[in-house]
Amino acid sequence: MLAVIKEAFWGSLSSIKTIAIILIPMMVVLQIAKDYQILDKISNSLWGFARILGISKDAIFPLLVGIFFGISYGAGVIIETSKQGNLTKKDLLLLVIFLVTCHGIVEDTLIFVVIGANGWLLVLLRTIVAILITMLLSRRLSASELGGIEGMEKK
Amino acid sequence: MLLQSIKTGIKKGIETTWMLAKIIVPVYIFVTILKHTPVIGWIADLFQPLMGLFELPGESVIVFVLGILLDPYAAIGAIAAISLTPMQITTLAVMVGFCHSLFIESAIVTRLGINIFMASGVRLGLAIVFGVLVGKVGAMLC
Repeated sequence: MLAVIKEAFWGSLSSIKTIAIILIPMMVVLQIAKDYQILDKISNSLWGFARILGISKDAIFPLLVGIFFGISYGAGVIIETSKQGNLTKKDLLLLVIFLVTCHGIVEDTLIFVVIGANGWLLVLLRTIVAILITMLLSRRLSASELGGIEGMEKK
Repeated sequence: MLLQSIKTGIKKGIETTWMLAKIIVPVYIFVTILKHTPVIGWIADLFQPLMGLFELPGESVIVFVLGILLDPYAAIGAIAAISLTPMQITTLAVMVGFCHSLFIESAIVTRLGINIFMASGVRLGLAIVFGVLVGKVGAMLC
């Protein structure tokens, strides 16, 4: 029994140690990216990507925040952006479907890499699948969009 | 400003590590103790047919369930305590990556006015489809 407790204690501590080694530098990098508004600058040059996904240009920034910083931050920025009235209903739906599939990509991936998973596979799979699903939904929405918007305006 | 960013980053890193420790350590201890009881054998046998679809051992169902109900960190605590190959860990990471923290994240998504059952269904579906895919391909390659 004592051996089991010892195994549990030291094993869990060493897991925490490896996670701390990865997580603390990563948080520093993310914080610098945030303070220097690096995402703001990147999102200006990504209008091509926005078009592929079928979202408006204003939706790019919340999308990037969600992808890199996680779904809570992403949702916060989405709410703020839509208060300014720059997001359509379609943007909102597409953003959420993309972000529930793929978010917090840096942290989520690194913590699994620490315990031995293949990081490239994780990142690529989640990102590509999220892009495909968003594109698919975007096309379907576009097909029925006219009817939907006219219907809303009549109300 | 740079120095301030670095300080804030380190502080956030330590806070996050502490938050994770509070989840990972109890899960790790729980699974380690479980591993030394007959219960782990029952779980393994019971879920072997299901987890076999992903080329995973039956007891790894614990990892997936913890990931869905709690968060990826709980799943990691459990992965660290069970012995798995890197390929199996990758398969589980893909599954938990697509589908985790359903309760917490659904609460966030609801605030945006999106149907949570649709969002959760998509995530669970992706976890299963790509879990099978990565598991089978991985087993073929290794």
